[in-house]
Amino acid sequence: MTSVPKLNIPLHVKYIQSLGENKDDLTYHMTAHLRMNAIYWGLTALIVMGHKDALNREEMIDFVLSCWDDQAGGFGAHPDHDAHIHSTLSAIQILTMQGALDKLDIPRVTKFILSLQQPSGVFAGDSFGEIDNRFTFCAINALGLLGQLDKLDVEKTVSYIRKCKNFDGGYGAVIGAESHAAMVYPSLGTLSILNRMDEVDVDTLGWWLAERQLPNGGLNGRPEKLEDVCYSFWVLSSLSMIRKLHWIDADKLIAFILSAEDSEHGGLADRPGDQPDVFHTVFGVAGLSLLGYPGLVDIDPVYCMPAELIESMGLRTGWEALPRKAFTS
Amino acid sequence: MRVKSMKTMVLQVLPNFALARRAVNFPRLFISYHSNLQIQAIQVLLVREQRTFLQVSTIKQSALSPLMHGVKRIRYTQEALEALKQREKAKLKEFQALTEEVLTKKKAGDYSKDAFDSTTRLLRVNPEFYTVWNYRRNIMIHGIFPQCSPAEINDQLSEDLSMTTAFLKQHPKVYWIWNHRRWCLENVPDGPSEDDINADSRNFHAWDYRRYVLATMPVPRTELSELAFTTKKIEANFSNFSAWHQRSKLLSNLWESGKLDSSKSKEDEFELVLNAIYTDPEDQSAWIYHAWLIGNGNDASILNREIKAIQELLDEQPDSKWCMESLVRYKRMLLKNHGGSLSLDEKQRLYEECSSLLTQLQEVDPQRRRRYQEIAESLEH
Ligand SMILES: [Zn+2]
Repeated sequence: MTSVPKLNIPLHVKYIQSLGENKDDLTYHMTAHLRMNAIYWGLTALIVMGHKDALNREEMIDFVLSCWDDQAGGFGAHPDHDAHIHSTLSAIQILTMQGALDKLDIPRVTKFILSLQQPSGVFAGDSFGEIDNRFTFCAINALGLLGQLDKLDVEKTVSYIRKCKNFDGGYGAVIGAESHAAMVYPSLGTLSILNRMDEVDVDTLGWWLAERQLPNGGLNGRPEKLEDVCYSFWVLSSLSMIRKLHWIDADKLIAFILSAEDSEHGGLADRPGDQPDVFHTVFGVAGLSLLGYPGLVDIDPVYCMPAELIESMGLRTGWEALPRKAFTS
Repeated sequence: MRVKSMKTMVLQVLPNFALARRAVNFPRLFISYHSNLQIQAIQVLLVREQRTFLQVSTIKQSALSPLMHGVKRIRYTQEALEALKQREKAKLKEFQALTEEVLTKKKAGDYSKDAFDSTTRLLRVNPEFYTVWNYRRNIMIHGIFPQCSPAEINDQLSEDLSMTTAFLKQHPKVYWIWNHRRWCLENVPDGPSEDDINADSRNFHAWDYRRYVLATMPVPRTELSELAFTTKKIEANFSNFSAWHQRSKLLSNLWESGKLDSSKSKEDEFELVLNAIYTDPEDQSAWIYHAWLIGNGNDASILNREIKAIQELLDEQPDSKWCMESLVRYKRMLLKNHGGSLSLDEKQRLYEECSSLLTQLQEVDPQRRRRYQEIAESLEH
């Protein structure tokens, strides 16, 4: 590992801390619809880097609770925004990581989540009904964290995902859609949580996923497309769930992820030379963690939360990550 | 060829206003049907139209966006940053005031035309504000539609479709916009029209949307004409996997329903895909499609024929990873599915060939070395 640059953890921690500071910035306000997700991304990245306390716990919990949409019974991304399954999952993940699930009306939010399941088995994102497997995963992930999976019709849920499986072993967003790494992850995550990995064609999917690695070490999301740091997580977590993480070149991918680092201001971008953001920062460091990069905390690839916490909740599934390496100075 | 000035090109196209209008509404379709000259002229028009609204989006490059793709890192000096902030100040104030106005009306349950127009203004500035799309739909459902004739509802939804088309040119990957289009189509009394289904590119939102519209059209477009569409896309660019994928879905239906003779049609497909493979043996789209055509490898004569064709290509291009990969795949199928009709010698030869190909694969494709090793270990003797 001597040739690989070191992940600049203090700089990235500072970068994440700085994100909430510029409240007079236009973009900050224009992206309010992603605030709840951004906090989950920031907190998770901090935990993976071993700096959970870099953001104020009480303020964070207060913010999450201020996004409760009492009409719907779920969380919006920001105060006064409508409840949506994605922001609801992020809220539950934050409260779980902060040990504050007791502040939540679990029966109410469970009802909201279950109300989004369609007769076909897929979940909608909100009451207006955009459907796809990402929303199914958000729902199943949240129900898992809340310990409410016994209220779910598992077979109905699995049967929809089964119909989205393509001949390349991958999964699309909806029935008939092309395989896409960012859709394979939520499909596999759902099957993994529901203990139905027997549905997966491991050899074919493993082949398709391994072919996502490009000569420069980065991973793409579909054939003949460009590499992107966030795919390091969608593909890696999927490979990890089917226990084939060793089918790609880990060192080359580590080098690619680190090359997308902004070494001046902190944060990781989608690819080298681009503007960093908290989304690519968390999925970059989470990918590094799965690859055994030294000095990072173990991440659970299914829930994308600290592995130790998920294990302590009795939710660990059969994934495998690469062993943690030691620094060779 | 002499390059004409943009102005000349725009002038050549401008007289045909209907054409330009169509281009603005259906840019993706347009690119496939019209000459390069027209495309460039149209791009000028599109850029011009985009400039007139949504100037705010140009500063989306701020370091404070939590999620970006393909935005180049720009180094600002402290002064430049301060100046930018000053320039943004007015826009920020405007945006906050508009947000406040819309959310206040929403809380008050205001379903008036006035509130509707406020959502238009706000979404134009920020089409990712999903709460405002929801509010807009609620205004239509509870405020506007109850007083409208079916024709008026149609007009309103058509207007929203044009609006989202304009938004998509600037933000082709924003889910909320595609989502609103779907909702509009679901609520159009007459259902979607042919014009709405000509989306293309690798944008999977566009392809999903296309499948959706095809499935919900009152008079379904025939699968055969859709097949012709994918042929055109593939012939224009062999590595468009989205088109190969769409083709596999269509053919499965056509074969299953008996609308196409599957064995004859399969032969045509093998010819088409081999053509693509011979054109660029490193393009994985065609190889993945080839693997789909082979399926479980239940037909030994097809397997043998394809193995022979691929072997010929490998002889010409001895380093071709995809030739080797596919040969291993198909030879293992011969062993697994048709081992009973093979002599011991033939089996032994196939094992040895697979094993030697897998050794070569480890050399030409070291990134995936461990996968080839595992397959080699799993070969039975
Ligand atoms: Zn990305």
